[in-house]
Amino acid sequence: MLDLVGQPLTWTHTLIFAAYGVLLLLIILGFVTYAIYFERKVIGWMQGRYGPNRTGPFGLLQTVADVFKLLIKEDTIPRKADRPLFILAPVITFIPSFVVVATIPFTANLIHADLNVGLLYYVALSGISTIGMILGGWASNNKYALLGGMRSAAQMISYEVPLVISVIGVIMMTGTLNLHKIVEAQGDNFWNWNFLPQIVGFIVFMIAGVSELNRTPFDLPEAESELVAGYHVEYSGFRFAFFMLAEYVYVFAIASLTTVLFLGGWHAPFALLAFIPGIVWFLLKFSIIVFFFFWIRATMPRIRIDQLMGLGWKVLLPLALLNIFITAIYMGITA
Amino acid sequence: MFSGLGGFLSDGHNWWFLLFAIGAIGGAIYMINFTKVVHMVLSVAFTFISLAGLYVLLEAEFVGFVQILIYAGAISILMIFGIMMTNHRGEEASKKRPVYHVLLTIGSLGLFFILFYAIQNTSFPPGTFEAGEDNTLEIGKLLYSQHVIAFEIMSVLLTVAFIGAIVIAKREED
Repeated sequence: MLDLVGQPLTWTHTLIFAAYGVLLLLIILGFVTYAIYFERKVIGWMQGRYGPNRTGPFGLLQTVADVFKLLIKEDTIPRKADRPLFILAPVITFIPSFVVVATIPFTANLIHADLNVGLLYYVALSGISTIGMILGGWASNNKYALLGGMRSAAQMISYEVPLVISVIGVIMMTGTLNLHKIVEAQGDNFWNWNFLPQIVGFIVFMIAGVSELNRTPFDLPEAESELVAGYHVEYSGFRFAFFMLAEYVYVFAIASLTTVLFLGGWHAPFALLAFIPGIVWFLLKFSIIVFFFFWIRATMPRIRIDQLMGLGWKVLLPLALLNIFITAIYMGITA
Repeated sequence: MFSGLGGFLSDGHNWWFLLFAIGAIGGAIYMINFTKVVHMVLSVAFTFISLAGLYVLLEAEFVGFVQILIYAGAISILMIFGIMMTNHRGEEASKKRPVYHVLLTIGSLGLFFILFYAIQNTSFPPGTFEAGEDNTLEIGKLLYSQHVIAFEIMSVLLTVAFIGAIVIAKREED
């Protein structure tokens, strides 16, 4: 892909780029549709309910119907809102969430941009979504939306720090920021994957990852009981759908990133199982992490804002820093 | 002056360059022209992202994405926070005298011609640029060999600033 960018721009190349983009978008839309269905079903079972079961066989068309409802809904913009920013905010939130997926290696040679700084690219661009959320909250001209936006920004900035620092251990062990090479450096057996030597980093990464996704137990930006719905309270119809879409695309992205960084990407858990295609292993690990997100959402209560900040700065950050020191000492001794 | 234009436009890199350059300049112009402060921050963020695009075109991916992470992400959000904590209304631009506009035009034209003259008279050394295979690695090596003193001084400076921030926050708490 990247070598095509350097070549003269012809119509064929433009079409190839566009086709890749549309294909990836369709895959992600399919994922989001059924991730929402799966989430509702899983939480339903865990809470002794059925979950959606009316629309289509087993309720499989429930999300399709929901999205259709959002599309044909009236698109309201508050009169006192800052109109251009109100329209722009969902776009600014969604675009980075989709763009970060470009660098994730699903298998050894499935479509992705083989960037030298893949991990940095992910972290850098995912930070821009926060701007969209704050702007959405600010442009709504609503105190609950503004509070939600501010909380969202405070939370995402606080948790981005431990998230980034927790993966430095992985970068030190593999010596590269290239996601493809990070997967290659992990072996064909599960005890060679990064999550065992980097167990502290892995735990910090998972907690910070859930917080970055604004999911329960860290869903303070949209705490229904205190803020109505957070930064997107004034949004309806398609614009609201874009905020939700961005959230679920980040679920996709963080689950893929965890698989790549800590769970060996497309590698099989045992070397003798390597005959099964890598994409199957990737999808399996990916699904387990997505399930984990739904699982804790169904079982954990929401924490308070001061507990959230305390956890981020006083527990996760020192742990992540300690992880770097231990990794460095270990590497210094063995090298 | 415009002889190489056909070749210039057939290269994909140059289209990206035009896009990012226009983005960077456009963002800066809008930043000055907007009256609401939040709009200004957004235009500045746009400029930062366009500059990052230019760095990537120059094969400096590391600098480019750090630019997005620090400037477009962190600094823009910091500014938005600062703006929201303080009170701002869309302020009316005060009337400027005609002399002001004349001086402004002369000044900007003068600056343009100085820059134009300097760029026209610069001779760029021929030859191709060899970017490192992994420029993050190369930057790391340079930081710990040639520039290690500057790097250490920077880290001490950042620690001092960090402690200073804690001290100020503590004082306000009491």
